[in-house]
Amino acid sequence: MTAVPPAQLARTAGPSAGMTRFIRPILSEYFVLVLCVLYVAAIYPFVPEIVTWGVWSNILSDMMPLLVVAIGQTFVLIVAGIDLSVTAIISMAAVVGASVMTGNGGYLGGSALAVPVAVLAMLIVGLGIGAINGLSVVKLNMPPFIVTLATRMFVAGAAIWYVTFHSTSSSIAGLPDAFTGFATGSLAGLPYTVIVAGLIAVAAHMLLSRTRYGRWIYAVGANPKAARVSGIPVERTILMTFLISGACASVAAMMYASRMQTGSPIAGENILLDVIGAVVIGGTSLFGGKGKIVWTVFGVLFLLILDTSMKLLGASLFAIYIIKGSVILLAAMMDTLRNRILTER
Amino acid sequence: MKLGSRALLLILQNAPYLLFIVLLVVFGLMSDRFLALANFRNIIIQAAPIAILAIGMTFVLLTAQIDLSVGGSMYLTASVLALYLTGIPWPIGLAAVLVLAGAIGAVNGFVVTRFGIASFIVTLATLFILRGIAMYLSNTRTLMFEDQILTLNRATVLGIPSAIFAFLVVFAIAWVVLHQTPFGRQVYAVGGDPEAARKAGLPVSRIVFACFVIAGLCAGIGGFVSITQIGAVGPKYGDQIEFAAIAAAVLGGVSLFGGRGSVSGTVFGAILIKSVQNGLNIINADPYIYPLVTAAIIFLAVAIDGLRTRIIERLERRTIRPLAAE
Repeated sequence: MTAVPPAQLARTAGPSAGMTRFIRPILSEYFVLVLCVLYVAAIYPFVPEIVTWGVWSNILSDMMPLLVVAIGQTFVLIVAGIDLSVTAIISMAAVVGASVMTGNGGYLGGSALAVPVAVLAMLIVGLGIGAINGLSVVKLNMPPFIVTLATRMFVAGAAIWYVTFHSTSSSIAGLPDAFTGFATGSLAGLPYTVIVAGLIAVAAHMLLSRTRYGRWIYAVGANPKAARVSGIPVERTILMTFLISGACASVAAMMYASRMQTGSPIAGENILLDVIGAVVIGGTSLFGGKGKIVWTVFGVLFLLILDTSMKLLGASLFAIYIIKGSVILLAAMMDTLRNRILTER
Repeated sequence: MKLGSRALLLILQNAPYLLFIVLLVVFGLMSDRFLALANFRNIIIQAAPIAILAIGMTFVLLTAQIDLSVGGSMYLTASVLALYLTGIPWPIGLAAVLVLAGAIGAVNGFVVTRFGIASFIVTLATLFILRGIAMYLSNTRTLMFEDQILTLNRATVLGIPSAIFAFLVVFAIAWVVLHQTPFGRQVYAVGGDPEAARKAGLPVSRIVFACFVIAGLCAGIGGFVSITQIGAVGPKYGDQIEFAAIAAAVLGGVSLFGGRGSVSGTVFGAILIKSVQNGLNIINADPYIYPLVTAAIIFLAVAIDGLRTRIIERLERRTIRPLAAE
C-alpha cells in the first residue's frame, strides 16, 4: 500500500468510462439547468406553447421577485442560517411603501418625492427587520430558525394591522404611475424588473465569488469555530447575510406591489416554501458552506418552468402540490447521490 | 460577581415559568374571569390539539431532526376520515387514522434515515404531497363530520372533558417512554451526539425512524381531537400548524439542535401560548395584536434561553482557567 501513486489509486477506485459519461452531467454544477432543458423537451409534445415568447415572458416576470428573494436566502443558507421572515418582510415593505406614496391620503401622496421616499422606506423596512434577525442570532445567541419564525409571525401580523390605519379595505391601493411603471416598463426591450433582478444576481455572484467577504461567508458556513480562530469577524459576516436577505425581500416587495398596483399585507404570503425549495433544488446546502448564486437561478427557473407547464397542462392545484413536493424530494435525493459519488472519488 | 452570575442563571433557568407567572398576574389584574377555574379548563381544552402535536414534535426535535409535514398529515387523515370512514363506530375510524398517520411518519423516517436527506427538505416535500393528495380526495371542498364525532367534543371520561383526557393520556405515555425507558435515554443520546451514540452501538437510524413514527401518530391524534372541536375541515386546515407546534416545544426548552428538552416543557409551552391568546381574548384586546404578542413572547423566551447558554459558557470557562486575567 505504500508505493501506489495517487493517480493510479484514483483510477482503480474510480468508476468505469461508461459510468463516467453517465454521471458527469449529474456532477456538473449545471445539472439543474440540464434538468430544465430536458424537462422542457419532455413536456413540449404535450404543451407546445412552452417554447413561445408569450409564455416565457410570463415565466420571467413571475420569476424575478422569487429570484431576488431566493438570492438573499442563498446568503443566509450558506452561513448555515435560515430566514423564514422573508415573506413577512415583503408584506410589511409593501404596505409601508404604499402608505407613503398612495394617492389616497398617503404621507407624501401626490408629491414628487413620494416614490423615492417610498422606495427608501421599503428598503429600510427590509434592512431593519434583517438587522433584528441578524443581531438576535449573533448577539443573543438565538437559533435563526426560531428568530425568523418569531419575526415572521410578528411582522406579518403587524403588516395586516398597519393597513387598518391607512385604508378601509384590506390593502392600500392608488399607487402612483411612476411606481407601477416599474412592473410594466422596459428598457431596450428588457423589463425593468429583469434588469434589476439581473443586476442583483450579478452583484451577489461577484460578492460571493470574487471578494474577501464572499470567502468569509463560505468559511463561516463550513466551520464557524475554525473561521473565528482564523480571525474572520464571524458575527459581522452573519449579520450581513441577514441584512442582504432583508434588502432582497424589500426589492421583491417593490416588484409585487408595482405589479399588483396595491400594497397588500399578504403579498408573497405563500412563496416561503417555494423560495427555500428553489434554493435547495439548486444545490445549496441547508447545513451551510455550500451554495452559489448560479445554482439558485437554475433552481428558481426550474421551479417556475414546472409551475407554468402544470398550469398550461390545466393541472389543478392538488397536482401542482404533489408534483412540486415530489420534485423537491427528487432533487434532494439527487444531491445526496451526487455528494456520495463526489466523496467516493 | 460569581454569586451574582449564579443567581442570574437561576432566574434565567426558570425564565419561561416566571414569564408565565407574570402573564397570569397581568391578565388576572385586567380581568377577574381569567383566573377562574373554568377558564383554566378552557385553556387546556384549547391547547390540547397543539400540545399533542408538539409532544410528537419533541421526539423528532430531540434527535436534532424536524417534521414540517404534521399539518399535511392532519389534513389528509381528516379528509380520509370524513370521506371514507363514515358509518362505522368512531374508535375504528380513529384506529384507521392512527395507522395512516403512523405510516406517513414511517415514510418520513424511512426517507430521512435511508437516504440521509435533511429532514427539513424531506418533510417539506411530504407536506406538499400530503396536502395535494388531501385536496385531490376532497376536491378542495369543506368536509363535514358525522354527529358521533362531533358529540365527542362534549363527552367526558371520568368527569374529564374528552380533549383533556386524550391530552393527558398522550402526555403520560410520552413522559414514560421518554423518561423511564431505555428507548427514551437513547433518543437523548442520539440527539446529544449522534456520532458518539453510533460508536456506543446504538441503532441511530432505527431510533430516528421511531421518532418520526411517534410524531406521525401524535399528528393523527392531535388532528382527531381538533376535528371534534371544529367539526369541519377545509383546504386551510392545519396550515402552518407545524410552526405553532415547533414554537410550543422551543418555548418549553426543547433545543432545535437535539438532545435537550422534555415533554413536560413542551406541554407547558403549548399551554403558555394558548393562555396568552385566551387572556387577550378575555380582556377584549384588538385581534390584530394576537400574533404580535404571541411572537414577542416566543422571541423573549428564546432570547432568554440564548442568554442562559452564554452565561453557562462563561461560568464554565472560569472554572477551567481560574487564574485568567480579569
